[in-house]
Amino acid sequence: EGDGANVRRNTHHRHAVGKGDPGVYAGQAGPPKFAVGDAVTVRDLPVVFYTRTPEYVRGATGRIAAVSYESPAAEDETWDRPDAKPEWFYVVEFTQADLWDGYTGTAADTLRTEIPERWLEVAG
Amino acid sequence: MSHDHSHDHDHDRTVKPMVDEITDFEVLEIALRELCIEKGIFTAEEHRRFTEFAEQIGPTPAARLVAKAWLDPEFRALALAEPMTASKEVGVDWLEPTGFGTPSDFTAFQILADEPGLHHVIVCALCSCYPRPILGNSPEWYRTPNYRRRLVRWPRQVLAEFGLYLPDDVEVRVQDSNQKHRFMVLPMRPEGTDGWTEDQLAEIVTRDCLIGVALPKPGVTTNVIVDTRPALHPIPES
Repeated sequence: EGDGANVRRNTHHRHAVGKGDPGVYAGQAGPPKFAVGDAVTVRDLPVVFYTRTPEYVRGATGRIAAVSYESPAAEDETWDRPDAKPEWFYVVEFTQADLWDGYTGTAADTLRTEIPERWLEVAG
Repeated sequence: MSHDHSHDHDHDRTVKPMVDEITDFEVLEIALRELCIEKGIFTAEEHRRFTEFAEQIGPTPAARLVAKAWLDPEFRALALAEPMTASKEVGVDWLEPTGFGTPSDFTAFQILADEPGLHHVIVCALCSCYPRPILGNSPEWYRTPNYRRRLVRWPRQVLAEFGLYLPDDVEVRVQDSNQKHRFMVLPMRPEGTDGWTEDQLAEIVTRDCLIGVALPKPGVTTNVIVDTRPALHPIPES
């Protein structure tokens, strides 16, 4: 019991209460770089200790299926970096046959996964 | 001690363990919980409240949401456009129990609507992310490295193991929930349910249908029980 206002570990609760997470980061990432339908390629960024971008999509080209929300990237959040800047997240759709050599389903089968903006570049 | 006693423990007050042996996991759970409470990281009351939250969640609200969406096109449109608003109509407030959502399920919920020619199935290849506030706790198999490794790459084979065979003119769309979004599947209303009430419809929307490893079927109100093939080379009984 007592006054938790200055307790550091209460910070996230205090700023997100009533808004939710990632709702609390809305409006903090500026204009999104990509729009629904854009063709994007997943960059092969170095991964030191942590990432949430699956290996199976690195280097693959897909298209933006949804502009999701703004949030600090998991790569920063997981280390509780205080200066982490929110960025846009996107649901990216891939054709399964582009991801897996010898994919055994149909040519129309797809996979969708969510990726922060830093991992994406214009396909070309 | 006023009275004389030949040995140093009190029979009446000895707490009998409920099991013969306490596992290492239980010992560590108690140690961690008691240390956290002692150091004020959380209170015993908070621990109890979160446990009670986790015990009352289940797939019923999600099944109800699907039934409502089948019966009411306006509600369906709401469910797809503002899924967390629609969740409130089946008693689920995604901001509970902390006021900002659960710390691990977040408040970015999306409903994936199946259509003729499109079937969704969800997985968390990185761990076990699952829309717990509306679907309850994830099934054990959903958390296994087996399901997580295989579903993204061989979805049709994995679905077939669940007894779900999809024709080639249906696109299978795997949704890997690897960030803050949580997903559930809104399956198509099956044939043979004309005139059914919301209760009747909700009853056939099982947890497995909401993950996408099964389709709702009149008469089937429990999760998938797969007819397993007999082993080709069974171990002979001695």
